Amino acid sequence: MIPLTWYLVLSAVLFCIGLYGVLARRNAIAILMGAELMLNSANINLAAFERYVAAGSVAGQVFVIFNIAVAAAEAAVGLALILAIYRSRDTVSVEEVDLLKG
Amino acid sequence: MDWPVLSIMLFTPLVGSVIVLALPKEKPALLKWVALAISFIPLILAALVWFSYDRGTGGMQFVERAAWISAINVHYYLGVDGISVPMVCLTALLTTLSLFYSFIIDQRPKEYFAFFLLLETAMLGVFMSLDFFLFYVFWELSLVPMYFLIGIWGGPRREYAAIKFFLYTLVGSVAMLLAVIAMYLETGSWDILEMARLQPFSTNLTLAAVAFWAVFLGFAIKVPVFPFHTWLPDAHVEAPTAGSVILAGILLKLGAYGMIRILLPIFPAMFRQFAPVVGILAAISIVYGALVAMSQWDLKKLIAYSSVNHMGYVMLGVTAAAAAAGSGPAAADSQAIALNGAVLQMWNHGIITGALFFLVGVIYERAHTRDLKAFGGLGAKVPTFAGILTVTTFASLGLPGLAGFVSEFLVFRGAFALIRPFAIVSSLGIVISAAYLLWKVIQHVLLGPLNERWARLTDMNRREVITLAPLIFFMVIFGLYPAPILDLINQAVVTIVGSL
Amino acid sequence: MLPTLSVLNLNGAVPQIAVAGAGMLIMLIDALFHRGSRRWAAYLALLGLAVALARVVESGASAETILDGALARDGLGMAFALVLIVAAALSVLVAMDYLRREEHERAEYYALILFATAGGLAMAMANDLVAVFIGLETLSISLYVLSAFFTGDAASREAALKYLLLGAFASAFFLYGIALLYGASGTTRLVEMGTAIRLAGTQADPLLWGGVALIIVGVGFKLALVPFHSWAPDVYQGAPTSVTAFMSVASKVAAFAALVRLLVVVLAPAAPLTSALLALLAVLTMTVGNILALAQDEVKRLLAYSSIAQAGYILVAAVAGEVGAAAVLFYLLGYAFTNLGAFAVVLAWSRRGEGRLPFSDLAGLGFRRPWTAAALSLFLLSLTGMPLTVGFVGKLYLFGAAVQAGWTWLAIVAVLNSVVSAFYYLRLVVIMYMREAEMPLALQRAGLALGVALAVCAAGVILLGLVPGVALDWARQAVAVVLS
Repeated sequence: MIPLTWYLVLSAVLFCIGLYGVLARRNAIAILMGAELMLNSANINLAAFERYVAAGSVAGQVFVIFNIAVAAAEAAVGLALILAIYRSRDTVSVEEVDLLKG
Repeated sequence: MDWPVLSIMLFTPLVGSVIVLALPKEKPALLKWVALAISFIPLILAALVWFSYDRGTGGMQFVERAAWISAINVHYYLGVDGISVPMVCLTALLTTLSLFYSFIIDQRPKEYFAFFLLLETAMLGVFMSLDFFLFYVFWELSLVPMYFLIGIWGGPRREYAAIKFFLYTLVGSVAMLLAVIAMYLETGSWDILEMARLQPFSTNLTLAAVAFWAVFLGFAIKVPVFPFHTWLPDAHVEAPTAGSVILAGILLKLGAYGMIRILLPIFPAMFRQFAPVVGILAAISIVYGALVAMSQWDLKKLIAYSSVNHMGYVMLGVTAAAAAAGSGPAAADSQAIALNGAVLQMWNHGIITGALFFLVGVIYERAHTRDLKAFGGLGAKVPTFAGILTVTTFASLGLPGLAGFVSEFLVFRGAFALIRPFAIVSSLGIVISAAYLLWKVIQHVLLGPLNERWARLTDMNRREVITLAPLIFFMVIFGLYPAPILDLINQAVVTIVGSL
Repeated sequence: MLPTLSVLNLNGAVPQIAVAGAGMLIMLIDALFHRGSRRWAAYLALLGLAVALARVVESGASAETILDGALARDGLGMAFALVLIVAAALSVLVAMDYLRREEHERAEYYALILFATAGGLAMAMANDLVAVFIGLETLSISLYVLSAFFTGDAASREAALKYLLLGAFASAFFLYGIALLYGASGTTRLVEMGTAIRLAGTQADPLLWGGVALIIVGVGFKLALVPFHSWAPDVYQGAPTSVTAFMSVASKVAAFAALVRLLVVVLAPAAPLTSALLALLAVLTMTVGNILALAQDEVKRLLAYSSIAQAGYILVAAVAGEVGAAAVLFYLLGYAFTNLGAFAVVLAWSRRGEGRLPFSDLAGLGFRRPWTAAALSLFLLSLTGMPLTVGFVGKLYLFGAAVQAGWTWLAIVAVLNSVVSAFYYLRLVVIMYMREAEMPLALQRAGLALGVALAVCAAGVILLGLVPGVALDWARQAVAVVLS
């Protein structure tokens, strides 16, 4: 059987890729994708822990399903906002969206 | 007395300030008279308290006590003793006189008089509170109206002066607040007298020292003691005349009162240990204040710095009493004399400097300048003004027969016995202040050839004379016969000295 | 086996159901009969909140749980829920005239406020990390949409996008932290998790420590603690002012409720380390927030930095753990009145179609608008912590808790920060009363609803400052009943 560590490493790698995406990319959609990746890495963790640490309880799986729904809602709002900004400014780069200082 | 005389005295001005706010602003004369009339109620009650305070029994009288915030053991706890009674009377007297003098205020009189009455409540509250929480509430509350009085009705640099005044005092008071919270957590009580009995931190000397200095800072900024005095000249110069009177006459006393009522009884051991440091600061305040006053050419600034000098005597007296804390009955006499002098000096300084600031206002409103070089020869031109100014100045420099002499004599009599080196250095201050008062104030304003600019200067009007008359009365009467007020003060002072 | 209805204990969830239900009803009615004024939506929202409030007050605290243990009806949860509901109701009142004036009166606004409140209620009462996370997301997503509510206003949209991207980022940290805690303890229930951690001891479990650190980062973003604060000023400034008012209070109440519960129920054994970490964050947050606030020249942005600093003060008591819980609760109650009141004045005075309120616009308003100006002065003095306002009692209680728990140096830093903050709060008062306007602002009359909200806020600030005894006792008793 695949040991727990493998799952944890996979999830950590995904988390870091997502983190890199958020920090390094300038395209709002790419940043959103990075954040979603980070959320999903946590989901892998939850599922893996549920199987290896807390066998028998369903909390981990249930949590994952909730998270997927939440992430979808977040993405829907995010994409709608990006779309609205794109319509008026013709760009989705966070560097050019700079009406507010700071 | 079985009715709450202190509460009534305390809250009448507050109610009055609401009444004044509710009056129509189209009738400035009406609201001025209403405000003045209201201020007579605390004045009459203060006089009543003065005369009916039982000197035979002593101690805290007219005590009122009720639970306020029971979750943290805070009480509404008022009471007065021989130290607070004169202060309460001084507050009521100077407020009434200031309100009367301020009838000339044309700019937003409604707000002005409302703030002034609010200020009276705050100041009375500080002198009456026996619960530290309540004390702090009034202490901070006194900042707000004064801040507005300077900021709205002040001189050209009023914004700067108002904020500086507020922030300086706030720094000190929050330092004090932290120490007080720690003291509350240690003793479980906010009661000032109880704290003095329990002596917080008597086992942890480091903490005691920190708490001592934190509370000291809070009061020292207000007094003000060198080097915390830098807010004072700005605030005094920019404040309107009556604001300066209250600032010098009463707000500075709040700090000195705190030293005597709170710092000394609660931390006698620490105060004794640090008496040399405080003594040096007091001596510097006296000498430095006098020297800087001598170098001023702005009359108002000169008097502001003379306050640093004169409040230094109060500190010297308190330090003398503290330096001998715990040394038993041998020193008790000198301690009591020094402390008596300090309290009497608080009263005298309030009366004398209050009068001086009124006089500056009188001349400034006519001449529109306070530059000493511009005056000269006014003595013959405005005889009433000259007479009153001369008496007040002589009282300020401590001429025997006038009030200032008695208190300064007592302070030095105590200090020479207990902290001689500091007393010797400080006595320089008396010489210097005599010099600047005579040279700068008397000579430059009253003597010499008359500057033609002032050929049409008018003498003091009735309103101004009425304002100053009571102050002159007290300068003379307590200079010749100080027994009535000293009897009162001595009661309380002996109790404090006995507990050290 | 499916849980039965009695296990779900839906009766206890009436507050959440009433709030969320009213929100859905508003959406439904608006979709079916959308015509004319949207005032009714505000009244419906107030009604829903009133039902929730009545339920919270009437049912009181107990040790039972709701939804099969996901939510706790203990004193801590109910007390924070009460603060949140009051804040939401005031936010509705504040928004009513403002939305009409800005011509953005739409029913969804109130529905979204209610959904956000429902999310916050879930966080306040959560006994399960799943519930914390779902509550957090419900609150956050509603706030993202609300921030962008002024369609056609580019700043509003940008603020929303910035908020959303950083919010999603923070949620990911939070969720990853939850996953690690789940791995360390094998459960998502807070109470069981606390027991597991206590039994296992706290020595070097990387899952536990990693989880705690990530959760603090996630909460730090939500609370805009320094160094996770960079979004707050922009979002506060760009979002519609009524949303800023709501957001600055509601998300703080909800996030602090969850944080306090985590600290008390789960992380008590790890207190030395978490306290040190939070103390560091508190110092940074207070100091940086205050210093940056000094440099502002616009009221809304100033209040944004001030509320960063305020979160720092509250954190000072949170550091004290159980001792400070009551102080956190009481301060938040006062803060809700104070901050909502201050924002309400900003919103009454800002020019139409413009979210900003530059300092210069304040000049002379002290006498031209005496009541509103007096109210704003009161709120500012309360934020400074002057006696006779709730801010003083609150800060006394906060810093007292820190001293009591042995964090004296932290209390000293906090007090020094209060002094710095006095400078910028007072500056507004100076400008209102001590300067004449160069170009007087054309002011609209404040509407009735706004007036009511201002009066309630001012009364709250004064009453809680003058006679805080009842509320202090309430806070102390509330936090004493914690499900654990």
